[in-house]
Amino acid sequence: MKVIVSRSGGMAGIRLTWEVRVEEQPDPATWADFLDSLPWDDVTDSVATADRFAYRIRCAPHEVVLAEPEVNGPWRDLVNRVKAANGM
Amino acid sequence: MDTPQIHTPQIHTPQIYTPQIYTPQIHPYCTIVPPYLLMRLAQLDVPKFARAAAAARDSLLRDSRIRQLRDGTHPRAHPSARSLPTRTPGESDRTISDAGGLERLPGRRVRTEGQPAGTDPAVTESYDSLGATQAMYWNQFGRDSIDNGGMPMDATVHYGQKYDNAFWDGERMVFGDGDGQVFNRFTISPSVIGHELTHGVTQFTANLEYEGQSGALNESISDVFGALVEQNLRGQPTSAASWLIGEGLFTEQVEGIALRSMKAPGTAYNDDVLGKDPQPDSMAGYIETDDDNGGVHLNSGIPNRAFYLVAEAIGGNAWEMPGRIWYDTLTGPMLRPQSDFAAFAAATADTAAHLYGNGSTAHDAVLRAWATVGVVAAVPSPLPNTTGTPSAPGISLPPAYSAPLVDPLAPMLPEPPRGPTAGQPSG
Repeated sequence: MKVIVSRSGGMAGIRLTWEVRVEEQPDPATWADFLDSLPWDDVTDSVATADRFAYRIRCAPHEVVLAEPEVNGPWRDLVNRVKAANGM
Repeated sequence: MDTPQIHTPQIHTPQIYTPQIYTPQIHPYCTIVPPYLLMRLAQLDVPKFARAAAAARDSLLRDSRIRQLRDGTHPRAHPSARSLPTRTPGESDRTISDAGGLERLPGRRVRTEGQPAGTDPAVTESYDSLGATQAMYWNQFGRDSIDNGGMPMDATVHYGQKYDNAFWDGERMVFGDGDGQVFNRFTISPSVIGHELTHGVTQFTANLEYEGQSGALNESISDVFGALVEQNLRGQPTSAASWLIGEGLFTEQVEGIALRSMKAPGTAYNDDVLGKDPQPDSMAGYIETDDDNGGVHLNSGIPNRAFYLVAEAIGGNAWEMPGRIWYDTLTGPMLRPQSDFAAFAAATADTAAHLYGNGSTAHDAVLRAWATVGVVAAVPSPLPNTTGTPSAPGISLPPAYSAPLVDPLAPMLPEPPRGPTAGQPSG
């Protein structure tokens, strides 16, 4: 299982992507539970704001696009975990 | 009629008059004599009341609030304007706040208008560049702040931890410190600060939707005026300017000179980590993507280059004729929130023809620039009408491509109200 976080936009307009292969993590079961717990189906369309980041989060079969102000709670947690797993 | 004799000595007595005239203490006096009475006195044409009439005229002229009542011509300030009674149109009203590394706005207020610089470079840079932005909009275009109504310019620095961004949130400019590895602090570049403030100007004028081609135009307009702020600040004509957006923003570890190049989109950086600057420089390279709100920071390279080409063809200072064409287009009636590149091209050509004449150098430069970047068909040479007289509105430029490359998007929100003085610089 793979989770991919892609951040685009921002004033710089530079797209960065972070990826985690769950089975390669030291705690794959925790990752899997966490990914299952995310509110994938509750995401609604968001309003774009000038120069804010846009996040696209993919974990088959799920894919959501979140405006930066909506990356809160579990989504914020996910983005931070994925970035941390990539040494960020 | 005793009134003139009662008040005339007060107005002309230096001991009372001099210290009070520019202080709030004058207002109780002014409220004693109602404005309508002062106006009647001022209009008296009877010799024995000449002194009273003159005194009343003095009072009317000296008190701006009564002056507004007199002729009704003074523009109303935006409701959010601070220091209304003492503010002179065109003056900056800046407030810089410090988020202290949190993502909470506005943060702690650290510098307001007129306070001396401290030791924090982010505060100093944002304060100075906001001032430079306000000065350019006012001096070159007669625009009084973001809303053309004296709206205070508020900014927050030190937003978030290692935050690699700057943005306009609809009310204020927000600047991160950068991560120190790829990005320096975002206040380091005047063009970035001019860019953010211009998002506010666009919000109050054409209000271009931040998606697809209208979003790329929104971005490009911020780049155009961000570049003009920097050029104006440095006194650089087109030939001497870098035409870079965000110069100095990358750390030395990055193979790149800036975020974007308006002169040569796609050449600002080429780095192992960041990749190559992806901006196209013409419609041939137009990027269709769902990311970045439909590539608003990518396809903005196309109208960015068009502006540069106009400036190059006209020569001199880009904030003069080229800037005026773009500013009048942005604030004029021809743009809609969903205007695309072709509509913007037609609007800038119309504006150039109105300002400088149909077939003028400026008009020709605009048409050729949009043709060079592939937004409109090749321009016949010479132009069909070279009379040099202003044209009627409605020049239509056929798009060089047969169908929109980006599907028209349904409005995401009801059309917000335009700025209270949109399209009417107060001058």
